Amino acid sequence: MQSSAARKMTAEGWLEPPPVPHHYESEENHKHALRLGMWLFLGTEVLLFAGIFVGYFVFRTYFPEAFEQAGRHLSLFWGTANTLVLLTSSLTVATAHYYAEHGKNRNAFWLLTASITMGGMFLCIKGIEYHDKFVELALPGKFFHFNEITAPGGPIFYVVYFFATGLHALHVIVGMSLLTWVAVRCWRKEFSPQYYAPVENAGLYWHLVDLVWIFLYPLLYLV
Amino acid sequence: MASTSSAGAPAHSHGFGPGKLFLNWLVLVCLTFSTFGVSQIPMPVNYHLAAALCIAVVKLSLVVLFFMHLWWGEGINRIVFVTSFLFLFLLMFFVMADVGTRFTLSNSRIPPPPKIDQTLMPTGMPPGMGTVPQGHSEGSGASSGEAGKR
Repeated sequence: MQSSAARKMTAEGWLEPPPVPHHYESEENHKHALRLGMWLFLGTEVLLFAGIFVGYFVFRTYFPEAFEQAGRHLSLFWGTANTLVLLTSSLTVATAHYYAEHGKNRNAFWLLTASITMGGMFLCIKGIEYHDKFVELALPGKFFHFNEITAPGGPIFYVVYFFATGLHALHVIVGMSLLTWVAVRCWRKEFSPQYYAPVENAGLYWHLVDLVWIFLYPLLYLV
Repeated sequence: MASTSSAGAPAHSHGFGPGKLFLNWLVLVCLTFSTFGVSQIPMPVNYHLAAALCIAVVKLSLVVLFFMHLWWGEGINRIVFVTSFLFLFLLMFFVMADVGTRFTLSNSRIPPPPKIDQTLMPTGMPPGMGTVPQGHSEGSGASSGEAGKR
């Protein structure tokens, strides 16, 4: 791919798009391929989280009481707050995609910055929750010493809890890095109606992170 | 789908504008509060689970269709995404069908496993460890296998 430094600024106020690789017959064809690649990757992500969700349901079947008790000990306030933070960041990412597609790079930049900030907020809130769990010794496996969960299976719940939310938090960090990369490129006005695939694909990744949380939130905090 | 012209605004310009995206977000927020509200209604836990999953699926659809543009997307992307969920369903269905239908072999000669005496457990064992999960104490393959060895 051609570096942005070598690309000229067009009259519309954005850099001219990088040339379409020669093995694509058209610009649209290239866009389809980039999008399909991302969706295939998202499919594998769904399968990755599928294992965790199946684990959740298996252990829930084995230890229903512990899961209920432990779920009640998670902070509903922080859980709900985090859901709203992630949903809002999804909105700003989707809107940034819209602006990038219309060549309004500055708008997209600020919206992406807002999304990254909300990702950071999400991680901070997650940190507060993790801190509480560490103080209570509500921890996975042999580290579990939390007396308020009396039903068998408490340590197992926290294995599922920390693994699911931990893997999700890792995805939030990766998503934030991708959004930062894309935001920098927005600042350089690289995107235009002809070329906005990085914004779209980073956005798709971010929405997937949101999707996973949409399921984790009710399963861990509410039921 | 119309192809993009080489200059100017996108020719097809699929996807919602900021206003409709905001509206979509508003609906998602309402659904978040409703799933929270439903969870506070006293009813059996399985109903809670079903209600929460239904609302989560609606939220998933809204995000996938409008934020992720699958509503306007190429058919192949829809197939990819739906297929990944098909495999999620397959995994979930067969695992849960196994876990959910285990039962005691009532005509077995193996006696039920003895009740584990908590006072005999090693000291320092955290609560919740070493006890037999309820509902499985007399039936699951693992625990009767252990009982047979003792």
